[in-house]
Amino acid sequence: MKKSIIRMTAALAAMLMTAGCTSRKPRGDYEPGEGNAVYYWRTDLRLDSTERAFLRTYNINKVYCRYFDVVMNDEAEGPMPNATITFSDTLPDGVEIVPTVYITIDCLQKPHEGLAEKLVKRIRQMNETNDISGVREIQIDHDYTARNMKLYYQFLDEVRQAWGGTLSTTIRLHQLSMEAPPVDYGALMIYNTGDPQKWTERNPILDRRDVAPYLRYLDDYPLPLVAAYPVFSWLRTITGVQIEHTVEAPKILEVKHMVEHERKGLSRYIITYHLDKENINRYKPETYEEIYHH
Amino acid sequence: MKRFIITNLLAALAMPMLACIGGWTTNFYLFHIYDEQDFSDRVQTICRDNWKAYLGKSPDDWFWYDADEVMEAAKAKGDNIMVSYVQNLEQYLECARKVSYDQWEYPTKEELAERGKTLQAVRNYALGKLKTRLRSQHALLYMRCNMLLGNHQENVTFWQEIADKYIETVYKEMMKNIYAGALYKTGRLAEAGEIFAEMGDYNSLMTQYYKKRSFAAIRQEYLNNPNAKVLPFLLQDFVNNAQEADDATNPDAEGTGGKLFIRDITKSEALQMRDFCEQVVKEGKTTTPIMWKTAKAWLEYMFADKREAAKDIIAAASLDGTEKMKECTRSLILYITARQAKDSETFDNYLTDELQWLEQNSQYNYVKERVLHQALKRHYAGQPLRLISLYKALGSYEYENYIDTMRTDRLEKYLYFVNTPGNNTLDNYLKSHAKPAPYELEDLIGTKYMRVCQWDKAITWLKDIPKSFYEERGYAVYVANRSWLVEPWITRQFLKNDIEYGDHKWQLANNPKLTFAREMQKMEGELNVLNGQAAAQRCYDLAVRYAQAHFRGDCWWLMHNSKSSEETQREGDSDLAKKAISLLQKASLSQDPELKERALFALSYGELYTKYWYGIVWNNQTYNYDRQPDPEAEQFAAFENLLKFEENRTPAPYVSRCDEYKQFQKLRYM
Repeated sequence: MKKSIIRMTAALAAMLMTAGCTSRKPRGDYEPGEGNAVYYWRTDLRLDSTERAFLRTYNINKVYCRYFDVVMNDEAEGPMPNATITFSDTLPDGVEIVPTVYITIDCLQKPHEGLAEKLVKRIRQMNETNDISGVREIQIDHDYTARNMKLYYQFLDEVRQAWGGTLSTTIRLHQLSMEAPPVDYGALMIYNTGDPQKWTERNPILDRRDVAPYLRYLDDYPLPLVAAYPVFSWLRTITGVQIEHTVEAPKILEVKHMVEHERKGLSRYIITYHLDKENINRYKPETYEEIYHH
Repeated sequence: MKRFIITNLLAALAMPMLACIGGWTTNFYLFHIYDEQDFSDRVQTICRDNWKAYLGKSPDDWFWYDADEVMEAAKAKGDNIMVSYVQNLEQYLECARKVSYDQWEYPTKEELAERGKTLQAVRNYALGKLKTRLRSQHALLYMRCNMLLGNHQENVTFWQEIADKYIETVYKEMMKNIYAGALYKTGRLAEAGEIFAEMGDYNSLMTQYYKKRSFAAIRQEYLNNPNAKVLPFLLQDFVNNAQEADDATNPDAEGTGGKLFIRDITKSEALQMRDFCEQVVKEGKTTTPIMWKTAKAWLEYMFADKREAAKDIIAAASLDGTEKMKECTRSLILYITARQAKDSETFDNYLTDELQWLEQNSQYNYVKERVLHQALKRHYAGQPLRLISLYKALGSYEYENYIDTMRTDRLEKYLYFVNTPGNNTLDNYLKSHAKPAPYELEDLIGTKYMRVCQWDKAITWLKDIPKSFYEERGYAVYVANRSWLVEPWITRQFLKNDIEYGDHKWQLANNPKLTFAREMQKMEGELNVLNGQAAAQRCYDLAVRYAQAHFRGDCWWLMHNSKSSEETQREGDSDLAKKAISLLQKASLSQDPELKERALFALSYGELYTKYWYGIVWNNQTYNYDRQPDPEAEQFAAFENLLKFEENRTPAPYVSRCDEYKQFQKLRYM
């Protein structure tokens, strides 16, 4: 037992030393450009006519497409892919796909050797098997905390090394107060601002009062950011009960104005979460026009 | 090679996460009218039984499908068609497993093509065996392959032209389920829904109707077909989800387990549905008006007029519907009545009848739970003896906790109540169902007196309890293998696994609680007449006993029936740790350095305190927790005193060996 602890500690120390040698600075010089995008978060890439029309109408040029999740699997004794997407359809010409992988927090509580390489290799194979070409960028979605931030950043370094192309990550509001991650840019998730485990009068998807405390970090955050806004409904589980929430259009726009006031560039590249007929029909076209207003 | 045989096509559909929610509640849904047969479990059970029969196993034997085992048996029987069937089934299952794609090695195009070829080959093989003895199994295999190959229209045609005419078997039922899935995939949703509803395939129904569970969608289903088989499912789902809107403001809505899949239903939508239910009954097109009228009454109860609801639910009882619907109505009559009834003998008699009915229908235990905790608990709040016996008679989790924490004098009254004949129907029913086990309450009353250190009263209640009572307790292993004479700060009495978890029947020398109570009574009585060194030693010896009897001591069973790491000092009970500390402080004033050292060392024992001498903080550099000394903690002061005492002397080995002592020393002077 002691031996394994010593080995683990040594491995950890070695990892930290190595981490200290590599450049961990965010790539502040990346330019995300101007444009509109959506997240695609279903398990089957299949677009109906409404969704295709949405992509056309709002000039969506990028789809951040969830390829799979990485979750802890006790049987396999390590992180495993889960809920892998099926490609029953293709995106319209001219729309870039950004493979996006969500990694649960427990996967990165400790180092997992080779995880970054496996992840990148899998994305490449998925692209090849499904005839998806021209992929330049990938995005990692992970709710890191101060506790596992260093491990996550080390992991991002490894992903960047294995991938070679553009790498982005999601940034939750609470993460703005931390050191910036070593990626090309961050997708600022301006949603899921409430505590998902508690009943409160505030909307857990988005509430101005929950965004306000983080505004002061926006201007100085040393990483290019794009903004992602919620148009989804959320079935959240609170003490075992699932409840459906949505955000009213004026509330989204109010927050958009708030954050853009603090950081002008945030209006340049806009993502909505997520592409789905129900979400499209939830809001009037004017709302989408305003959300995607640069 | 242990595998499930999965038939549910819709399990593979892209859909939002449907979390099946577990957990604890007493706030169960009461509107259960849909006869949910749980298709998946049912067919898997029958399939397993079929395999067991084939293998000559007993129905009670444990069994998990193992292709090698089946093939070996088939070869031994010379059953060639079974051998080839299982071989091909294996190939299909292997393909089905890989279809999940959730492995790090994502399949290449070549592998996918190979998989398609395999499925096609198995499909062709199965199609060629439809005239054999195992034609149903092969037909099912054929349809399964088509399902994975996406040949849904072929499956529709195959079912309609061939499989539908087969004899009734579990394989035919599974084929029908795949057929319903194929209808769904080919856009024939209404037909698919009717079959899923008829088969009790709840998961597929929920998948198909997940986004069609609103009042408007249900109304439309009714307008299409007033007797659609899917309507009971949809109405049940709507009404129970509507309960969630009510629960948000309902103080009785404690706990949340046992729920369905929730969607927000507003009060106005619930009231629209209430009015529509009434309209459906009036129109007379439905063959099950009881379902609609009961839904109306329950929605009325939750969102509008409770008195009106009481009238409606009574009216519902005389309408037509299935047995399950009638039983649902009966359950709701009980709940609504019990929530509103005034205290009367009429209600008591009615309740007795309904409790007897529920007792005979164990599937309605959830009704019993909700009625008990949300209606009867309140109704009988002023009659604690009846309430306890209700808890006991209805098997409530509250019983143990209630009697364990109630006032001792009331428990004494309850013991008398439950052991004397009742003078009305309800009491007779309750007393016949609430008989405590022999000595159960006497032991508890005696233990409660021990908890407040009233040894004389404890002895009165414990003296007639035979040692055999304690030999049958779950904690007998600890009684037999631990002693309250051991100083816990020097030796912890951990048990070896084979002793702690073995099934040995432990024999005890005597009634341990009685022995302890008598010893404490004697020792405390004598303490008053002891002086000097003898008094100090007695204080120390008593402290050892109090520390052992404390809920964190090794002899916790003296005061409690079970041990939990979450346990805290209970209000009303003597704080045994404080008593031990106080006695040790007296002992530490001894002139005898050896006793003084023991007492000071004992005072630094962490289990006597609610707060350790250190706090725990996360260290971002080491990815580990660090200890941070907390000078405010009483244990910190105790360690300081010990350290001071040991300054100019050689500590006893039990002190110098103690890792906590060493850590304190190290961190204190860092």
